[in-house]
Amino acid sequence: MTTTLEKVREILARKYSLSIDSITPESTLESLKLDSLDLIETLFDVEDEFHIRIPQDRKGEVPIVTVKDICDVIDKLIAQQGTAQLAGAQSQ
Amino acid sequence: MRRVVVTGLGVVSSLGHDPDSLFSRLMQAESGIRLVSAYGSVGSHTGIAGIVDFVPRVSLPAGQKTDNLDRISQFALAAATSAVDDAAFEFTEENTRRTGISLGTGMGATSSIEDAYVQVLLGDANRVKPLTILKVMGNAAASHVAIRYGLSGPNLSYFCACASSTVAIGEAARQIRHGYADAMIAGGTESILSFGSFKTWAAMRVLASIDPLDPATSCKPFSKNRSGLVLGEGAAMVMLEERESAKRRGARIYGELVGYGSSNDFTHITMPTVEGQAQAMTLALADAKMSGDDVDYINAHGTATALNDVTETRAIKQVFGAHAYRVPVSSTKSMHGHLLGGAGAMEFVIAMLAMKHQAIPPTAHLDTPDPECDLDYVPGQGRDDQPVACIMSNSFAFGGTNAVLIARADR
Repeated sequence: MTTTLEKVREILARKYSLSIDSITPESTLESLKLDSLDLIETLFDVEDEFHIRIPQDRKGEVPIVTVKDICDVIDKLIAQQGTAQLAGAQSQ
Repeated sequence: MRRVVVTGLGVVSSLGHDPDSLFSRLMQAESGIRLVSAYGSVGSHTGIAGIVDFVPRVSLPAGQKTDNLDRISQFALAAATSAVDDAAFEFTEENTRRTGISLGTGMGATSSIEDAYVQVLLGDANRVKPLTILKVMGNAAASHVAIRYGLSGPNLSYFCACASSTVAIGEAARQIRHGYADAMIAGGTESILSFGSFKTWAAMRVLASIDPLDPATSCKPFSKNRSGLVLGEGAAMVMLEERESAKRRGARIYGELVGYGSSNDFTHITMPTVEGQAQAMTLALADAKMSGDDVDYINAHGTATALNDVTETRAIKQVFGAHAYRVPVSSTKSMHGHLLGGAGAMEFVIAMLAMKHQAIPPTAHLDTPDPECDLDYVPGQGRDDQPVACIMSNSFAFGGTNAVLIARADR
């Protein structure tokens, strides 16, 4: 099964013509020469890839600095969706 | 007074992206206008327009992607690159501080705006592409040119409908004249061929009906059987430089931009007036310290609407007197279509090429004389071997802006 990290690395590599090996969980976006606009574009693509919606308002959330931070946002949202679905199924 | 010369020309047009070959095709009365379909999520629209077949590749600064540039910005960058290359202008850390960009567009980034509205109204309301604002903001095209060359001089954008790029060039010349810059990239860009913008122009009832025999001939300025304007897309840019610095670097000089006049028709949002148009031409001549007799060629606004063609003819007569019947006046919109905000720059470039080639491009598809339009419109084919030492280019806009440029051979 493809992990979140692998998919994110693929998205970044494809989108910004980066070598996939250069992208590690600890890579900061800055070290990959990606700026704040690149981040919001990446989040847009991530939403499509993982069928999630990242809230516009991320106040109080951990700022996204590294590749791992992106993965954490995704995993958290997927987990919340799973819980919501489960709750929905149980209440039926 | 500092003088301003034109040292580079660049175009993206429905008749190709090389200025000299564009000019030779115009001389043969070749038309870039053809049938085109625009598709929207709720239907399609078939019309006629001067379409750009492909956008030339341009090199972007690291990290920039063409996906993030609206079609008008891609056109503008390509035309600006051609103009700069044509001028053989080399940017340095020093001269970029004294170089600016001045760009006109009439409608702006319509296709990206339309994409965003389709997404938000018909798709998922939370799913607009994140960088849409940066594609559609009014100064995006100009800013991409400035980024491309690292310009820190003036970054100006003008929205004066069909006079936008004429104003952009005229105001750029003033920047140089008055010492705010030593060089300016100036011109205009337009692409209005999305489904929605096609529909809005069709709704205005100013578009030409499609010629049943040959759609390419549908735009017939000054002809009795004209039926309206035909939309076109593309961009045109010029490199303007302060004359002494251009001479010092040994630049090839197409001509000197000697006159710029602008006025406003204040009586109505679309209705042109003879007085307003004449005022702009008179101001341009006064600025150039020339008389109407000195002008060898007028590239007319010539939209092929009944209102424009008759009004412009009368205005030319009022300004030029007896010379009005001698000076060749042509509307090249008959072939490249109406580029709206890009039109003035495209036509100024074509007029500069008339001076370079000593040849007058025609008004194509003018086959039925109109008694109210009785000047020499150069019907049919272009004329070679003509003495062209001074040109005038007219642009008269919805909203009232009238703008006129005059250039003459450098001397």
